[in-house]
Amino acid sequence: MNANEQVWTKVINQVRTWARMNSIWAVHFNSGSCNGCDIEILATLTPRYDVERFGIKLEGSPRHADVLIVTGPVTRQARERLIRTYEQMPEPKFVISVGACSISGGVFEGCYNCVGSVDDVIPVDVFIPGCPPRPEAVIDGIVQLLTELKGGKARAPQKQNVPEEIAA
Amino acid sequence: MNIEQVLAQAEQLLAAWNKETIHPESNRLDVVIVADDLRAAVIALHDAHWGYLSAITGLDLGTASAQLEALYHFCNGPAVASLRVRLPRDQAILPSIADIIPPASFFERELQEMLGFTFSGLNISARLFLSDDWPENVYPLRADFTLDQAAPVAVRQPDKLPEQGFVGGNTFVIPIGPQHPALKEPGHFEFTVDGEIVTAARMRLGYAHRGIEKAAESRNWIQNLYLFERICGICSHTHAMAYSIGVEKLAQVEIPARAQAIRELVAGLERIHSHLLWLGVTAHEAGFDTLFMYSWRDRETVMNLLEQITGNRVNYSANLLGGVKCDIGLEQAKAIKEGITYLETRIRHYLEVVTTDTMFLNRTRNIGTITFAEAENFGLLGPTARASGITRDVRIEAPYGAYTRFPVSVVTETKGDLEARCVVRLKELLVTCLAIRTIVDNLPEGPLTARMPRKIPAGETISRIEAPRGELLYFIKSNGGETPARVHIRTPSLCNWVSVLEKAVGRQLADVPMLIAGMDPCFSCNDRVVTVRHTGSNENWSWKQLREYGIEYYKR
Repeated sequence: MNANEQVWTKVINQVRTWARMNSIWAVHFNSGSCNGCDIEILATLTPRYDVERFGIKLEGSPRHADVLIVTGPVTRQARERLIRTYEQMPEPKFVISVGACSISGGVFEGCYNCVGSVDDVIPVDVFIPGCPPRPEAVIDGIVQLLTELKGGKARAPQKQNVPEEIAA
Repeated sequence: MNIEQVLAQAEQLLAAWNKETIHPESNRLDVVIVADDLRAAVIALHDAHWGYLSAITGLDLGTASAQLEALYHFCNGPAVASLRVRLPRDQAILPSIADIIPPASFFERELQEMLGFTFSGLNISARLFLSDDWPENVYPLRADFTLDQAAPVAVRQPDKLPEQGFVGGNTFVIPIGPQHPALKEPGHFEFTVDGEIVTAARMRLGYAHRGIEKAAESRNWIQNLYLFERICGICSHTHAMAYSIGVEKLAQVEIPARAQAIRELVAGLERIHSHLLWLGVTAHEAGFDTLFMYSWRDRETVMNLLEQITGNRVNYSANLLGGVKCDIGLEQAKAIKEGITYLETRIRHYLEVVTTDTMFLNRTRNIGTITFAEAENFGLLGPTARASGITRDVRIEAPYGAYTRFPVSVVTETKGDLEARCVVRLKELLVTCLAIRTIVDNLPEGPLTARMPRKIPAGETISRIEAPRGELLYFIKSNGGETPARVHIRTPSLCNWVSVLEKAVGRQLADVPMLIAGMDPCFSCNDRVVTVRHTGSNENWSWKQLREYGIEYYKR
């Protein structure tokens, strides 16, 4: 790569980051949550909190999404579907895990049908604690992700405990 | 008729098969029968229109006795008659009653999966709650179940997911779920279509099945309060309240009048938040996003009030065993009244919108109509039943807590279509607002809590509550220890599912989103929807596209 190309790549990347930061599309996945986090996520999109003014939009299809927002402990039945949803998202992709259950299993820790936290199944970039977190906390979590993106974070870190299929 | 007469009537109806009669509580009658007489006994109650089948509870009586017990709870106003059938563990075969009472199929499947009962004549082996990779012949609610009996999660089989649609013969199956773009719990539906018309419907739950009933057995009475609150984030107060009332009944503790009134007040606020949430979701499915945004904006008023009273927007933890945690002071009372006044004007406005807006009426009027007879037959509960003219509301039929002191009036409609369901819910909110105002004005003085023992005396109790979606039933059994021996929870959505599945058949595919949303189920949907046109070309559709298709369809 010559000097000219390097400059060009740098500019392109800057434009990409700028674009990404101003239009975060998120897909929401409920992996066994009690709905508490889900309604708070929805509340962040409605007029009082209105995150759409920052370009954040909830998107139905994982194939069009930048961010995967996961709520709830991962149940046995939802595990495979969570991995699939994650796999369908295009790179670069980021995962936000919302609520106590998705971080540690919460009150459902040790239940027979729960596999564990979201972190056990797919790599997570931002954890938002709370039961459920307030809409302000959700916004703060997204802002933290954006700040990291601004700092040049290009893709989600690959973790040791990721199943082989995803790490590849 | 008073409770004694109603129960005497049930006893008389069941006399032919009665092996033993027990009166565990003043409003309950337990009749022990044998498995062979079950169908006859159920038919006797059903034909005499003695109440409705509210739930089937399964109990494991321990490894020592090696017996299982099934309890068929029939509710008639405040009276509950339970048919008790005891069976040996290895021979737990019961006749299915799903052909007499359709919603029983869900209850029976639950017992089949969780406790290992066999129902002759049910003929459904597909799983409803447990995961696909759950090992055979392992039943999580049995007393001797241990975590290591359930084998570790299976290796991935990406091509064998049951959610994929397939073409076979003349049928085409449209899978919806389990991932939904925005809302609520995951569920999975399969609609078989012939062109535009739905010819069969099937569903799979269990994506959000966490195993709470089993977990409750290993947590103490107080820890469970917080566990049950997290069954559902939308009606968390109702769950905690049903559990608290049940435990207080077992411990024979009478909670102070002020605490009861505050419980009803928070329950009322929760109903407002739940119904406004539902209104927004339904409007969204109909393509009426303006109403969605407006109703959610107004919902924030209730969220503010709940936060001001309890300190949290969701999962408020207002209940304690023996009372409540939060008081209503002058400041809160003022805020509640102001908020309620504002909401009343808004609710009246929404009532006008859902009954006059032509576009919305196109999607709701005469769609998904459930007649009175059908609603009775399906065993529907809550606003869905009341929209069909059934006056089924626990708050009125069997008042609990403060509902005797601050009663609410029942709201019914007769048409039974989606419009009627909108109207019932909104009118119910006006009634709730009125009740809240009365409570705030006449809040009884006194303490907030009564003293509760740490160990709850042995016994069994049934606690029924009207949740925003319908009757919620808790069956609580104590052995006198620090943890419950068994808690069985029957949520209203489980009973209302039958109507979604039955009503989708014969309708246009375009009506499906509204039909599902109209029941206010706790579910979530879709990853992609596959559709086949008459030309035979296959396309992948998202739920969003299906929703848009529905909107476009009705523009024509």
